[in-house]
Amino acid sequence: MSSALLLQSLILGILLGGLYALLASGLTLYFGVMRVVMIAHSAFLILAGYLAWFFTVQTGLDPMISLLITVPLFFGIGVLMQRLLITRLKPASLTMMSVLLTFAIALVIEGMLGFTFTGVQRRIRLDYGASSIEVLGAQVAVVKLVAFGLAALALGSLWFVLKKTSFGQALRATIQHKEAAELVGIDTAKVASYGFGLGLATAAVGGTALALDATIYPSLHWHWIGPLMAIIVVGGLGSIPGAAVAAMLLGVTQSLLQVPLGTTWAQTVFYVALFVTLMVRPQGFFGGRLAQRF
Amino acid sequence: MRNASETTRAAAPAAERTAGNRAARPPLLRDPRRLVGVGLLVALAVVVLVFPMTTSVGYLLSTGVVILNYALMATGWNFMGGFTGYISLGHAAYFGLGAYAVAILIDRTGMSPFLALALAPLVVVVIAIPVGVAALRVRGASFVIVTIAFVLILLLVAQSWASLTGGSTGLMVPRAFQGLMRTEHHQVFYYIYVAALVLALLVWWRIDRSRFGMGLKAVREDEDKARALGVPTFRAKLIAFAWSAFFTGLAGALYALWFGDLDPVFQFSILMGAYMVLMALLGGVRELFGPLLGAIVVGLAIEFFKAEFGDTQFHLVATGLLLALVVLFMPEGVIPAVKGLFARFGPQASSIREVSAQQLLDGTQDAPDDDAPVAPGGVGRVR
Repeated sequence: MSSALLLQSLILGILLGGLYALLASGLTLYFGVMRVVMIAHSAFLILAGYLAWFFTVQTGLDPMISLLITVPLFFGIGVLMQRLLITRLKPASLTMMSVLLTFAIALVIEGMLGFTFTGVQRRIRLDYGASSIEVLGAQVAVVKLVAFGLAALALGSLWFVLKKTSFGQALRATIQHKEAAELVGIDTAKVASYGFGLGLATAAVGGTALALDATIYPSLHWHWIGPLMAIIVVGGLGSIPGAAVAAMLLGVTQSLLQVPLGTTWAQTVFYVALFVTLMVRPQGFFGGRLAQRF
Repeated sequence: MRNASETTRAAAPAAERTAGNRAARPPLLRDPRRLVGVGLLVALAVVVLVFPMTTSVGYLLSTGVVILNYALMATGWNFMGGFTGYISLGHAAYFGLGAYAVAILIDRTGMSPFLALALAPLVVVVIAIPVGVAALRVRGASFVIVTIAFVLILLLVAQSWASLTGGSTGLMVPRAFQGLMRTEHHQVFYYIYVAALVLALLVWWRIDRSRFGMGLKAVREDEDKARALGVPTFRAKLIAFAWSAFFTGLAGALYALWFGDLDPVFQFSILMGAYMVLMALLGGVRELFGPLLGAIVVGLAIEFFKAEFGDTQFHLVATGLLLALVVLFMPEGVIPAVKGLFARFGPQASSIREVSAQQLLDGTQDAPDDDAPVAPGGVGRVR
């Protein structure tokens, strides 16, 4: 492998890892606040991609403007989903049943997308779609950089909200110890539903970023959910920094392995990492005490 | 929260003595509830066995085989999901492995299809055990994630390792029975499936009544407590996992011989795993015949949808909605719900049964009648 090719894959891997990190942190939020593994996360991702595509086709504007609609919309859907569906499940079997419930939601979304937009593969045409710029001697498509910028911006805002606002503090307290958070006066039910909305909002941003430079089709979400699930287990369920680090590492590894192995086999790196993690350190490499029990 | 009767069903210590319990129960003819149960079972057996003789329409027969296939898979799934409460969304992996094992064994070694059919579920178990060792180190959500990941891996492998699996074009499986007409072929496989299903139900029933099964159900109710009480939880879960993979693999192996053509996207489909969960949950995971009932209901619905609306995305929406409804409103399944309905109109059983320490020591406490005189100072035991 030549060094230019190596550098190219490395940069592409980092750009891909950014998107993975954003999406995995959304998954981590759901798990943190509700102990819910949200299988439908990637289905919402594809839904956001379709909405961005539809927006651009209808209005001719840049797909990123659709974020003004999809982010609040997805936040609202997330809050409603938590309030109306997740809280209905019995606490004793919440984790298992929520997996099934969100799986069902994923099926419905996939089916409705296929129903409304047909199974035809869609792609957004952009003026800057074909252009690329040189970064450290490697050719990188502008859309990939834009997508990464979007993901990094969203991840940065998420970090800011969690670390610097009082809502973020309440949210982190709810994640760490729900009862204790209630004792100091936090309305954990409300915070949990907002946390859920926040998680779903990451899917809105991620979906738009994905739609910028990828072809989308309704069943695409199965290709995303596996890697994302692997990332949050490797990172340790419930740990946002863990998810981000694991996302970056695995994204870069996948990108580097694509050159010698091809795209299909390179994807197995996520699953290999998943099984190695379970054998060596079941609670995840950066994870807290939560992971093994849920 | 679960109610008390459910938790104690797993924790009741007298399960090994159920044989004695049975002897103490009133004779079959005088117990209306058991009579209804046995009657339903006989009726079901007659309908299942007679059905293929009443028709020679190929479509109906093949629908029957498909539903039996679902029933065998869902019952296989229930060895893990029902006993231990570990919900696997990726059991399609073992279905696909069973099918591919038959195809590859016949293709590579030229062995008889029947030998391949016998070996394939064992091959599946051999593959499932290391997966189980990894997956069972974690609980709940992580376990589900691993099971889903395993299907996705196998799909990748089946599509990419073309020299072994035929890649995306799949594999053809030679016919096991030469010279049979199409309908006769369906009929033969129908009865083979019935035999396999009966075997699976018998093993499930046997485990359900054994001490080993008690341990598994204790894991379902509270794994930490079960472990503290001395249940070898990891080994028990692994054995249940292996049985589960065995019967699901058997279903896959039979399917390969019956259908004769393997497509990786169908064999390793997450949707198929979701069907198994849906069927078992709908019928009731704690019931012997729950998955079978669920398979009949859901299987008929699936076939109806396919016949009526063709291969549209609509069946995804329908499956999703049905799964969501079951999870939200009937997570215990239809059979317990119906039983509960009957129990409400039947004679009220008292919720507390009293047993004296002496009775416990004698081992005669198994079935004191609810209205039997109670020894003073008897030990209360929740039923």
